[in-house]
Amino acid sequence: MGLLALLRKLKSSSEKELRILLLGLDNAGKTTLLKKLAEEDVSHITPTQGFNIKTVQAQGFRLNVWDIGGQRKIRPYWKNYFDNTDILLYVIDSTDRKRFEETGMELNELLEEEKLHGVPLVVFANKQDLATAAPASEIAEGLQLQAIRGRQWHIQACSALTAEGVKDGMQHIVTMMAKKK
Amino acid sequence: MPTRAEDIMKGFKLNWMNLRDADNGKILWQSSDDLAVPDLEHEARVPKKILKCKAVSREINFSSKEAMEKFRLEQNVLFKGRVLEEWSFEFGFVIPGSTNTWQSVIEAAPENQMMPANVLNGNVVIETKFFDGDLLVSTSKVRIFYV
Repeated sequence: MGLLALLRKLKSSSEKELRILLLGLDNAGKTTLLKKLAEEDVSHITPTQGFNIKTVQAQGFRLNVWDIGGQRKIRPYWKNYFDNTDILLYVIDSTDRKRFEETGMELNELLEEEKLHGVPLVVFANKQDLATAAPASEIAEGLQLQAIRGRQWHIQACSALTAEGVKDGMQHIVTMMAKKK
Repeated sequence: MPTRAEDIMKGFKLNWMNLRDADNGKILWQSSDDLAVPDLEHEARVPKKILKCKAVSREINFSSKEAMEKFRLEQNVLFKGRVLEEWSFEFGFVIPGSTNTWQSVIEAAPENQMMPANVLNGNVVIETKFFDGDLLVSTSKVRIFYV
């Protein structure tokens, strides 16, 4: 499902404009996921030193996907991008076990943000193509996703590189947005 | 002492632009380095087949040394100076020292409504204006040739 296809599926929503926010630590694979959604080449991706936005428009309806850099020095600026977020995608490098705690803390801070109150969450347990990747179930447990209250959430095992699981994740976005109405 | 507006304008750089077939993400045209030179009308030689694409994306990459609070752009596609298509986009906050991209995907007009390449050739200009609030930070003009 490309971005135009996603747009068409989401279009039944009453809103004129939808905002998807893509966050996670540096090197989690946010930009790769974003480019994969647009069917683009993912072989020359460099660390994001700001934001990457993709806007898709059709028949008066607009979908904006915001990918904000995850480096430590950029994270304090994330809060500038929370307004009007309809869905939060949080990307995790499933092979980076040393930073599971760090990514969990960042996610928890996001979930406590007033401006992201009630916003549905999809966690992408990325890099599942690598043998050392922790399974999504283990990551869900480590992040204590089961304890989340007051919002829809889903964890999606995926490989942004091979696109495996990406479509399923998109389908969950569509389902969540339909329920949110 | 330079004003804040001068700092913002001096610290802003348009790095590159490209056009893609949005169906497969393939780049059909990418700007050269001179795009950052302001006040110059740039030329893009784009393969004619872009007019057959069901959807096309335009991507812009820019850097800013200064933080901006109300960054936005207005993009017009002009045919012989007349506006064919208008875009505006609110970015809001821009991180100081950041490099950012914005890509917009649009579906093409139905083929029977599409003007032929020889009519469009050299007559289409993509004009992009960048603002912080009301301050005009930069303007870029790219004239499209279909080859």
